[in-house]
This record gives sequence, C-alpha cells and structure tokens, in this order.
Amino acid sequence: MAQDTSTTTTDDGHRSVSRRSVLAAGGAAGLASIAGCLGGLGGGGGTVKVGFALPYSGTYSLLGQSITNGFKMRVDQLDGQLGGTEVEYVQKDTEGDPNTGATATREFLTEEQVDLIVGPVSSAVAAAMAPIVNSNANAIWLNANAGNDDLVKNCVTKYHFRTSFSNWHPSAPMGQWVYDNLGERAVMTYADYAAGQQYVKNFGETYREAGGEILTEVGAPLGTSDYSPFLQKIADTDADVVYSFFAGGDAVNYIKQFHQQGLSEQFEQAGGGFLLSADTLPAQGAAAIGKYSILHYTPWKESERNNQFVDNYRSAHDRIPNVYACQGYDSAQAADAAVDEAGTDPDSMIGVLEGLEIDSPRGYMKITEEAHDPEQDMDVRQVVEGPDGNPINQVVETLGRKKVPWTCDF
Amino acid sequence: MVEVTSLIRATFLGLQIGMTLILITAGLTLIFGMMDVINIAHGSLYMLGAYFGLVLVQFTGQLWLAILIAPVLVAVVGLVMEVVTLRPLYGRNPLDAILLTFGLVILFEEAVRILWGAQVRLIEAPAIFDGSVDLGIIAYPSYRAFLLGISTVVVLAIWLVLTRTNLGILMRASAHDAEMIDALGINVSKVFTAVFVVGAGLAGLAGVLVGAQQGFEPTTGVQVIIEAFAIVVIGGLGSFRGAVAGALMVGLMQAYVAIIYPTLTELSVFVLMTIVLLVRPTGLFSETTVA
Repeated sequence: MAQDTSTTTTDDGHRSVSRRSVLAAGGAAGLASIAGCLGGLGGGGGTVKVGFALPYSGTYSLLGQSITNGFKMRVDQLDGQLGGTEVEYVQKDTEGDPNTGATATREFLTEEQVDLIVGPVSSAVAAAMAPIVNSNANAIWLNANAGNDDLVKNCVTKYHFRTSFSNWHPSAPMGQWVYDNLGERAVMTYADYAAGQQYVKNFGETYREAGGEILTEVGAPLGTSDYSPFLQKIADTDADVVYSFFAGGDAVNYIKQFHQQGLSEQFEQAGGGFLLSADTLPAQGAAAIGKYSILHYTPWKESERNNQFVDNYRSAHDRIPNVYACQGYDSAQAADAAVDEAGTDPDSMIGVLEGLEIDSPRGYMKITEEAHDPEQDMDVRQVVEGPDGNPINQVVETLGRKKVPWTCDF
Repeated sequence: MVEVTSLIRATFLGLQIGMTLILITAGLTLIFGMMDVINIAHGSLYMLGAYFGLVLVQFTGQLWLAILIAPVLVAVVGLVMEVVTLRPLYGRNPLDAILLTFGLVILFEEAVRILWGAQVRLIEAPAIFDGSVDLGIIAYPSYRAFLLGISTVVVLAIWLVLTRTNLGILMRASAHDAEMIDALGINVSKVFTAVFVVGAGLAGLAGVLVGAQQGFEPTTGVQVIIEAFAIVVIGGLGSFRGAVAGALMVGLMQAYVAIIYPTLTELSVFVLMTIVLLVRPTGLFSETTVA
C-alpha cells in the first residue's frame, strides 16, 4: 500500500547511486525491479531484511557502532527504505570472535532469513563466515570492513562483496609514493598478525619494485602496550623512512612512543591509514604531526560530496564520521542499488553489484566484477595541526582508481 | 648482531618496565598475602587511575597535580570497595571474593565506557618530556627516565615501610597469623583496610604515570591484571620480595627478548611462569604457604 508512493519518492532522483541503470543489463533490471516491488523473493513479505554481523562489545565496539550508524544514516535519508522497500534490521554481536560470528551468520541465514548481511569488522570473523554464506547461498554479504586479502585472493564466495577495502589498498599503492617522496631506504614495523603481515608484504613488494631497499622489519605482538623494546631495533638503522601497520590502541601507543623516543626527528613515518586515523589522532596528539598515511576515506577531504556527508553525520551523531561510518554508508548505497533493480533475490543482486559505481564520500568507487572488491581513489595524507590546534589529516595526493591485481571466476 | 649499546638500552628499559610494574603487583600481592583475596579488579583500579588522571590533566593542564591527586581518588574508590563489598566476605571461600571482584571488573569497565566512551585515550604529557636525555653511552627517552626514577623511589619507600616501621611489622604479622594479632588486641580489620587502600592508591599511581605514555581503554583493566598475575605467581603469591623480583625479571626479559626475537616478547612472560610453576610451584619467594 505505502509502496506505491515510496517508489515515486525514490525515483525522483535525490539518491546518489545514479549510474547503476547504465551498468546493469536493461531487461534483467526491469524484471528484477518488478520483483522488488512485489516485495522480494527471498525475504519476508514486503520488507528487505538487513542483518548486522558486527562487534557491539569489546575492543572493536566503536567500529561496529560506526558502521551501523553510517548504514542507518543512508537508509534514513531514503525514508527508511532500500530500493523502495521498507527495511527491517537485525543486529547480532559478533564480539569480534570467529565462533560467535559464525553462529550469528548461521542464525541470520536460517532462522532470520535476512536478505543482506553487513559486517564483520574482524578478518578472522570474516573467514569463519565465508563458508556459511557460500553454502546457504540465500543472501548477499556486504563486507563493510574485514580487509584480509585472502578473502579476495581465494575467491571465497560469489555472494561476498567488499564495500570497504582490501589490505592491499592501504599498503601496495604506497610503495612507489614513499620511494618517490620520502626516501630509498626503509624499515617496516607492524602488528604481528594476518593483517600486519599482509600490509608489510604488499608494501615491501611495491617499494622494492620501485627501487627501494628494506633494511629490516620488526613485528610486535598484537595488543602490545609498550613498543620501546621493539623501537630499539630500528633506532640503530640509517633508514630514511619507517612504514608501519598498527591500528586502534596499538597505533596510539606506537606513534606516541615513537615520538617520545625522539625517532620523529630521525625518520619519516608512513603507514596504512589506520595508523593515523580520525579515531586515533585525538589521543596521538602532537606526536602525530608530520606523519604520512594512506586510506580510502579521509573525513577532512575537501569535496562537495564529502562535505555534505560530514555535515549530515555530524548533525546526527555530533562527531565527524570515521572511515567505518563511510563504509557502512556505502554498504547501504550498494544495498539500495541492488534491491532497487533486483529485489531481494541474491543471485539477481549479484548482477547489479558487479561493476556497480557508488557515489561515495570517499571519491571514485566501483565494485569490480572480477574480484567483488572496490576500485577506489586512495588518499595519501599528512597529519597537520588543524584550525583548532588539534591534529587532522590533510590530503597530500590522491592516487586514483586502485584495485587489487587478483581476479576470480565466480 | 646485538651490540653493547643495544644491551645497555634494553637493560634500562627493562628496569623501568619492571619498576613500574611493581607499583601494580605490590598491592596485588600484599592484599592476597594478608586477606587471601585474589583481587581481579586490581587492574581496574589501575585503569581508573589513568582515567582520573586524564580528567585532571584536561581540567588543570598539570600532569604533576594529576600524579598527586588521581592516586588519592583511586584510594577512595578502594576504600569504598573494601568496606562495602569485600569486608563481608573475609573468611569465606576465596572463590567468593574472586567472583565478587570479577563482577567489579565488569562494573568498572562498563562505567568507564559510559563516562568516557570506548576509544583509546592518552594523557597529554608536558612538552619537556618529549625527546631524550643523554646518558653518555645511550640516549634514553625523558619520560621513561622520569618513570624509572619515580617508580624506584616509591618502591624503596614501600620497602622501608614494610621493614622499618611498626605498621610494616604489623602488616607482615597479620599476613602470617591474623587471628593471633587480633587476639593481641590489634584491630586487624583496620590494617586490612589500610593495606587495601594503599594498594589501590599504588595501582592508581601506576595508571596515571603509564597513562601519559601508553593509551588506555575500558578493557585495559583486564589486560593489565593478566600480566600482573603472571608476575605475582612467578614471584610467589603474597610475597613483596617476590613481586619485586618477578616484575624486574619480566621487565628485563621483555626488553631483551624484543631485540633478539620480537615475536616471542609477550609469550615469554607465560613461558617463564610455566617453568617457575613446574620447578617451584609456590613461586620464587613464597613466604606464606599457599595451601
């Protein structure tokens, strides 16, 4: 009943996913949107059911909440609908734990019968979810953060679409840039687990290809609070630059202690964007100034699209959006386009999502056909003192349209 | 590969890490020694010290003031905690106190999350602590030099109180035989409270001191208590000397292992604990018998 009016509201063009009709095959899209109007094929009558498989407790709770905020903000802008269909949410706390995440996924797919799964934050949880999503084959999985390269390299399931990034994005593209701008001799420091190892491997490869030399690498256990013992090792080298992967509390401790040890004067510091992000900068303070990082979203990026997103988010949540909020927001944009054209049949949605361009606050973004992974602009940023004296990330250069070199035959 | 200067630097670093850890483990071990209470919430008191310090620095801009006042505030929390929640449980099955303090851990964690949010915080240290002091052979980060100094002074003070004052003698006596001390007309209950309050204050001091160098978040209390327990077990539960020796061993070992084989740094503490438990199940310096 209310659906007729809603379809007209959404068709009046105030939505930002605009190129989808060009990209999708016309006939299929036509059929699919009829299916969408009829209320979907897989889900309950007349609604699209979204399951958040995210951490709402523990270390990553802030990330889970940000993704949820971003997603819901987009849906609210669409009058509570995705593709003209009313949205129903189900939230399950993964606690960042693979077993809990797997259970949540199973419940989403069997009991709850969701149409879309959004999450998780942790790559370990994602690895546990992959076989379940693949075998149930009844929902689209929008991966709104877990960046493990292997998910794409191993082509885990055709229902998996990244609306976030691969670990490859904030690592490999920076090799050449660091060599050109910061120096020819590098050391690498990283949190010693899957993500950290992938970052230094990707960066090391492109940096060496560019002609650079990696003098040494130091892995510190995940969750280390005191980095000084590890920093001793790099202090004795004559490197120009340090490339690092640390995130969250680790990034705060690492940067702070790097600076306190006087190493900011000795080396340039560069790293994956989580090293110096909107969430960590307030705690890192002056120690972060002058340091470089690369990420697909920068809240301080000057563009009309981003300014509008930041303003909306700030008025809703009284803080600037972080990268996770942007990823949640873009997940909702992808979901909107998919449901709009294909209804809730997962196999039809795949056709829409493959090659979908998203008008993201981050800049250019497209979900690739060959890897179901984003092709996107990557910002190289430097931390500078903002207008109110607090450190902010200033975009130094945007490396356009980067995508992983791996392909899948889904 | 490992040069002499690296070893010297690691030694200073290890001493500092160890000395600062003693501020946490001293209270933990004394409270157990006297009251047979395994205080799982001791790490949470450390965390509260850091958050109180954060607020004080935000309002006054003075780290010095925070270092003086935050421990007092944590001591007050410790006082309330001991009198209201722990006192009724003395003499009961030690498991009751474990369950209680575990509940308090969750309570403190959630309270901190509500008040300050889940993100990592750090206390802003004055600019004079940026950079290093020149020790001749090596340069040493200024704030760490300060930490080493202040921790050493406090640890020496605790040691003097324990060995040279009436209060210290009373404390050690109560640890050995609380009933006999009670029979001699001394209010053991007050001694217990005093020890708990001082232990809480020391944990709070460690929290505010370390909070200017390492980020902290609501889960910090749990992270801290695990390492602190390993140290206390290595040294011998209930023994102050054990807490000192255990903390210094762990601090030095972490600093050395990090320059030789970084990946094993964290694991090494628990390997040491396992070896000690196999060879000397009561710990290196056990004074009270852990029956």
